[in-house]
Amino acid sequence: MLDAGTSNSTYSKKFKDVFPDRFYTAGINEPGMVGLATGLAMAGQRVAACDMSVFLHHAYAHIRAAARQGNDVHILLAASHTGITVGPDGSSAHDITDLARMRLIPDFTIITPWDGRQVRRAVEAIFEEQGLYYIRLNRPKLPIFLLDPAPFEIGRAYRLCEGERVTIIAVGDKVYNALEACDELGEGFADVIGISTLEPLDSDTIIASAARTGRVITIEDHMYAGGLYESVAGVLAMHKPTPMRKLSLDRVFTTSGEPDELTEMFGLGTAALVKECREFVLERMRDEG
Amino acid sequence: MFKITPEELKERAYRIRKNLIDLMYQARSGHLDTSLSLVEVWLALVYSDFFQFDPKNGAWDERDRIFLSEGHACPLQYFVNADLGYYSFEDVYAGFRRPNTPFQGHTKRSLPHGLENSNGSLGIGLWQAYGHALATERFVFCIAGDGEFEEPVSQGLMSAPFYLRPAPNFILILNYNKLAQDAEVRIGPIAEIAKLYNWQVMQVDGHDFSALNYAYQEAVEECNKPSLIVCDTIKGKGGDPANEGRLGFHGRPPHTEEEYQAYIKGLEATRRN
Repeated sequence: MLDAGTSNSTYSKKFKDVFPDRFYTAGINEPGMVGLATGLAMAGQRVAACDMSVFLHHAYAHIRAAARQGNDVHILLAASHTGITVGPDGSSAHDITDLARMRLIPDFTIITPWDGRQVRRAVEAIFEEQGLYYIRLNRPKLPIFLLDPAPFEIGRAYRLCEGERVTIIAVGDKVYNALEACDELGEGFADVIGISTLEPLDSDTIIASAARTGRVITIEDHMYAGGLYESVAGVLAMHKPTPMRKLSLDRVFTTSGEPDELTEMFGLGTAALVKECREFVLERMRDEG
Repeated sequence: MFKITPEELKERAYRIRKNLIDLMYQARSGHLDTSLSLVEVWLALVYSDFFQFDPKNGAWDERDRIFLSEGHACPLQYFVNADLGYYSFEDVYAGFRRPNTPFQGHTKRSLPHGLENSNGSLGIGLWQAYGHALATERFVFCIAGDGEFEEPVSQGLMSAPFYLRPAPNFILILNYNKLAQDAEVRIGPIAEIAKLYNWQVMQVDGHDFSALNYAYQEAVEECNKPSLIVCDTIKGKGGDPANEGRLGFHGRPPHTEEEYQAYIKGLEATRRN
């Protein structure tokens, strides 16, 4: 495992405490960390490189170079402190474009777990098969709500609620808000699809839900550009054109604040989702006469 | 010393230079001047007594590794590996810079072909090589360029033994031909800085087989520190003497029959010496 000077924020230091011989710190040197990790992986090691996500911008060329080494390397890039829930540190620390950046690099599987329990399951699955993985992690304590005891299936989207009026597609920690919204909207209203693998995207499950409801709304703690919304829009426009709405960040820099405060400010909370769903359904009903 | 005689080494150097000129004239593309500057450096390494490899088993665990960080020197890498028996010279001519072949414009990693790392963008391969050295007992050589050392991330590698962990099996070869793509290069106090950061540092004539062998020998015998070998080389060495050590020919091989003949004439003259 490698770190780049943030081991007490990423908690990679817990690994270091138990396995000091298998831990390297590159110091505050993200390109170096990724380069070292790549070289170790090219020598046959299974490697995890950890950092606060926004600092991985520095390492982008090296991440791309890692992907160019071929498919017999086993690297997990663990990026914590994503999205606006990073909070008071402010916009320099909120990584709201990491999903987009990683989608642009071939061969990286992008894992977006919903809660801590799913992180554990996902890592178990990642360890099974060689390849390049990116896992999106958060900063604050977030709800643990995963009930399904089944092993994590890489590449599978999960239908978590059954409904007819609208499809809510949520990624990562926003799945919690989607489930809360589902409860509030009432039984049979929302069809909730939880995305725990963004790339490769489970298009079939998404298309099936869109076919069922005829309206799709996405929610992500990420910029609309290159994130969940555009991924889903791309799939649906091609295979099942469906009216869509999105809850996401605009093409802006964010700001300091408490996680809950920012979530509400940027319209990414449950209340905003419920409101958007109701308005969307009403609008469509009006349009359809 | 070497696995072959000094005469055989010189003959191989000639043969590879001839092939480099022919290949890149035929392709009208490729980095001929960089490739020519590293011929002795590379041959001296692979033909040193200690250097282990198996051309029939490119993934052999006990092999010594050469990471090319200065990726545009790959035509030389392709021909040296042909010389060592990984594949034929004809294979290189057929595949060089063509779609989906093992011989891309910058290296594409393929252990069966003796190609340790995909490269191209500078300042990257050397960190991969250092990480690799932490995970193997064998030697990891890394060839980097002087222009490449303008990247802060390359200079940053100098602190690796100091902050991270010394890797005595890591040997960095700096191709000091004093020219980058659009300007001259000076490495300044890199050698002194490296020494302060606990590297064993040597400076050699990069076209002198015995001096190179001596330096490599010192490097592999050093048990506590990684080594930096600064190789004084001439860009375009052994080609058209009018272009040797001159700016303006980076990635620009001969384009006309006349230019080509000037390279061949220059090469033949070196053979007579």
